[in-house]
Amino acid sequence: MGSDPPLRGDQALLEVDDLTVEFPGIRALDSVRFDIRPAEVHALVGENGAGKSTLLKVLGGVHRPSSGEVRLAGARYRPRRPADALAAGIAVIYQEFNLYPDLTVAENVFSGREPHSAISRGIRYAEINRRTSDLFTVLGVDIDPTAAVGGLTVSEQQLVEICKALSVDGRIIVMDEPTAALSADEVTQLLGVVRRLRDEGRSVVYVSHRLDEVFALADRVTVLRDGRHIRTCDIADTDPDGLVRDMVGRDVESVFHRDQMSEGKVVLELAGVSAGRRLRDIDLTVRAGEVVGIGGIAGAGQPELSQLIFGALAIDFGTMSLNGEPFKPRNPGDAMARGIGFLHEDRKAAGNLPDLSIRQNLTISVLDKVRGAFTRLLAPAKESDVYAGYHRRLNVKATGPDQLIGQLSGGNQQKVLLGRALAPGGKLLLLNEPTRGVDIGAKAEIHRLINLLTADGAAVLMVSSDLPELLGVSDRVYVMAGGEIVGHLTGDDRTEENVVACATTGRRVFSEELTKR
Amino acid sequence: MTTRTQIPLGRLWDTWGVTALLVLLVLCTPVIAPGFLEIENLQSVLRESAYVGIVAVGMTFAIASGAFDLSVGGQLALTSVVTLMAFNGGGTAAAVAAAITTGLLCGLVNAGLITQLRVPPFVATLGSLFVFRGIAYLLTQDGPRTLPYEQVDSPFAKLGSLNFAGLPVPFLIMAGVFAAGWVLMHRTAIGRRTLAYGSSPSAARFCGISDTRIRLFVFALVGVTVGIAALTYITRVWTADGSAQDGFELKVIAAVVLGGTALKGGKGTLIGTFSAVFLVSVLNEVLVSRGVESAYQRIVLGCVLIVALTIDGLRTRFAGPGSFRRALRPTS
Repeated sequence: MGSDPPLRGDQALLEVDDLTVEFPGIRALDSVRFDIRPAEVHALVGENGAGKSTLLKVLGGVHRPSSGEVRLAGARYRPRRPADALAAGIAVIYQEFNLYPDLTVAENVFSGREPHSAISRGIRYAEINRRTSDLFTVLGVDIDPTAAVGGLTVSEQQLVEICKALSVDGRIIVMDEPTAALSADEVTQLLGVVRRLRDEGRSVVYVSHRLDEVFALADRVTVLRDGRHIRTCDIADTDPDGLVRDMVGRDVESVFHRDQMSEGKVVLELAGVSAGRRLRDIDLTVRAGEVVGIGGIAGAGQPELSQLIFGALAIDFGTMSLNGEPFKPRNPGDAMARGIGFLHEDRKAAGNLPDLSIRQNLTISVLDKVRGAFTRLLAPAKESDVYAGYHRRLNVKATGPDQLIGQLSGGNQQKVLLGRALAPGGKLLLLNEPTRGVDIGAKAEIHRLINLLTADGAAVLMVSSDLPELLGVSDRVYVMAGGEIVGHLTGDDRTEENVVACATTGRRVFSEELTKR
Repeated sequence: MTTRTQIPLGRLWDTWGVTALLVLLVLCTPVIAPGFLEIENLQSVLRESAYVGIVAVGMTFAIASGAFDLSVGGQLALTSVVTLMAFNGGGTAAAVAAAITTGLLCGLVNAGLITQLRVPPFVATLGSLFVFRGIAYLLTQDGPRTLPYEQVDSPFAKLGSLNFAGLPVPFLIMAGVFAAGWVLMHRTAIGRRTLAYGSSPSAARFCGISDTRIRLFVFALVGVTVGIAALTYITRVWTADGSAQDGFELKVIAAVVLGGTALKGGKGTLIGTFSAVFLVSVLNEVLVSRGVESAYQRIVLGCVLIVALTIDGLRTRFAGPGSFRRALRPTS
């Protein structure tokens, strides 16, 4: 720790001094310092709740500091609203994009600053389309400026946000968890774009939970913990284990290693399953006591596959069986009645019930089990018992069972939703992105929990776009591309290279065929 | 960041705020409206609030599930007309059966439009409002349906004006409907699922909650409450035609919204609805006793509603981190 002597000639572009931000009841940032040099990628890491987002929002003109100072190129920088930040050349790209889905890419990029024709006052579409196209060329990507933003993938929308930042000639571009929803090859593309931005002389503040990206990209890294500045150093002066220690303040196994499990009987079997154009001819088995991973680039049909098994998507052809019996759920309720638990990948849109307490969020999947014997009315005492059981098991940090779920951190929300998925019986669990947007401590706890569940005989089907997780937690990995299964990797064949090759090159790798040869 | 606990005051206000205002208003009445606290006047306020109050229970469920039922005015007119016809044909039992059945059928028609034809609830019930009222007009082309003169002393005809232990029977029925509604909302699986659905329909789907079932439940429930309300209404006024209780739907929705049930769904407070029903009628009573013209009464009611929702909106924005000034600025 201690202050870092500035490298020669490296005058900081932006300096944050002794910054404190207080909200009623909490101090989100406590005397934090931070600086950005020209043409550098500066990674900002820390667990959820460490204060990263608050710092970004101060830079972006959303929050105002209680004390402390921010200087931009030596002058005092005090944005009063997001537009001030943009005018000063600081573009913050939040996790929730600020895009209009019904407008075109170019209209979004120039929204509010459209060049007008002198005579008709109409927008010069040819000009904004051309300029947008030029900016994409700079970024090295190919997106149609006239396409509607709502029809783009998440990663393309992200590039539109970056393009917006470039269009105002942003000197400092701040990205909050830019890869949280991207697939492996989209991440590679984004990393390339960030490097181009740096080569252009722009500075990038890069917030990420994914340390592999931080080490692949950053020049320097700053660690925050509990609203405090812990460390700033050159990336060469640290390693992943060191960063993890700084972030959590204790030693944590950074990559999960699963205990070896013996395989049980087949719990779930799919044969020739198809659904519209989204899933084609899927064969798959999941056994008791094993974790089966589903990988692939985003949009290859992974979430649809788990939704189909859960009864949320209709099956056109093929058969499914559960514990050896034919299985054809008409809706999620059917699947839950057979003991299947489901975790959606989009916690905010399709997981949380934001107006309900965490206890109610948990018991919603098992209301039949918390009713009185005679009255058939919900029994608060029984609900509390169910909640207390999972609360202990999942180590949810909350002020009490009546707290609203939205007030918890992402990791604790996820634990509550995992409890909801476990409650129907937990014989088969369909987990989509179980640790997305979750801090490192909670991630390890969730992985440990999956391990415990399978030791008890549960079967887990896990969709994950996080390669270390996919390979570290699963016993077997299916890889999907274009709605088909294009790879099945077991044992030593479970490598990042194999997964990426199957997902992106059209090559098919099946371990059983490799061993036959 | 440490986890934020919601300020208890805020939560209390959600449930009891309107009730506090009601108590305050009643405490002021000896000064601003002498004579308000006389027994007969109080009984009249309780009695006349019952129709709105009973349907407001159903409407609280509808709004908590994220939907409106705009058709309750039409349902009430149609159900009242049919109930009077049934009473004239078959007596008390037929009337009660007709009221509940007609209300329920109206609700099922709405639910069918919404779940089978996929019409948004707002549009479906706006349409059915006209249709129900239209049918009520058709059935009363030869003049309003009325209670026959020789029946005015029958127990049925007295139901709406009787008192029991000093309390008007319509008010007691309303209190019973509220109590049943509270149990339904907070102690049954379907009630919990309704709140879950209103909170996030897409998340509810992955909790095994069927949207068809929720819609069916909510709109059928509204229909049944209309049936009960129609009974208390016609046994009080003894007559009904297509124009009965014009603008009823807006009074009901205003009470539910004033009570603190969130328009976006997910939260329903029957205690708030209960107090809001009386807040509106007490306010009206005070204005009437001071000789305020009915045009001004409407304006005052409208302003109360707007002010209440403005305060609520500000409070919601204050709940997040941010300054007073930011709360007042339009959301960017």
